[in-house]
Amino acid sequence: MIRVFVGTGLAAVFIVLLGLIGLAAGGSRSLNAYLTLSGILFAIGMFGFLARRNAISMLMAIELMLNAVNLSIIGFASFAMTPAFRADGSVIALLVMAVAAAEATVGLSIVLAIYRNKKTPLVDEYDAMSQ
Amino acid sequence: MAIGTTIPFTAIPWDDALFVLLAGTMLASALAVVLMRDIIRCGLAMMVCFGALAGIYVMAGAPLVGAAQVLIYIGAISVLILFAIMLTQSKTAPGRLAFQTQAVPAAIAAVVLLLVILLAVGSTAWGGGPERGDTDTTAVATGLFSDFVLPFEVVGVLLLAAVIGGVFLAKKDRATPTDRSE
Repeated sequence: MIRVFVGTGLAAVFIVLLGLIGLAAGGSRSLNAYLTLSGILFAIGMFGFLARRNAISMLMAIELMLNAVNLSIIGFASFAMTPAFRADGSVIALLVMAVAAAEATVGLSIVLAIYRNKKTPLVDEYDAMSQ
Repeated sequence: MAIGTTIPFTAIPWDDALFVLLAGTMLASALAVVLMRDIIRCGLAMMVCFGALAGIYVMAGAPLVGAAQVLIYIGAISVLILFAIMLTQSKTAPGRLAFQTQAVPAAIAAVVLLLVILLAVGSTAWGGGPERGDTDTTAVATGLFSDFVLPFEVVGVLLLAAVIGGVFLAKKDRATPTDRSE
């Protein structure tokens, strides 16, 4: 029981510390905060894509990177000069989401098809091209 | 009864507190997605990450995109990924070796990329408006169906093609004898 409380407290402190990065970059009223968050999210996604062994983990990391790009689009759009440009940014973000949905569909079905042949989801055992 | 602009008894504005909470939740759950070993928990952390990101979209003044984020990412893509996880994880091959041997160079590359991005963000004068403005949802709808109507239709056709292709790829091949594990 005490471990649950200590763990929750540590997680809360960690979350607030990470969130202070956004505040240090300017808070919700500055473009730099959104771009910094977007960059951190993209770097995390890139690490996940390069380092994970599971194909579905790699797809999840790709989703994180796509979301980072969307965050920077929304950030740029909400600091645009005219309201028309802000609306254009939202439209572009919605189109990116639709393309991401298509990408997830095709990617996951490719992983399922390979899994049916190879019986493993780990990408370093997909070595048919190197034999 | 109106709520003040700052948290009672302190000088912290509400939007700063909310931004810190959402940004911290987003970054912590994104780290959990790439660092945790149990892949089901990775998928659930990804849903938390997308939810916090929807909150950040709302704070950035684009509530329609936030709603679409909840519908598309939390509602559709995360469920799709969770189903794919459950279809591909066998009990004999748990995620005990979650990382490649190249994890350390990958971490170094990610940190270098992050530093380059932060340097570029910090040293560029972006121009644009001085103040954050809210997005008019009516203008989004008008733009989607007037200026952007061709990309809208193309994305619709792309989604249709992707779904048909996904069904074709994931369909069970009749010629090969496979176990009926689904």
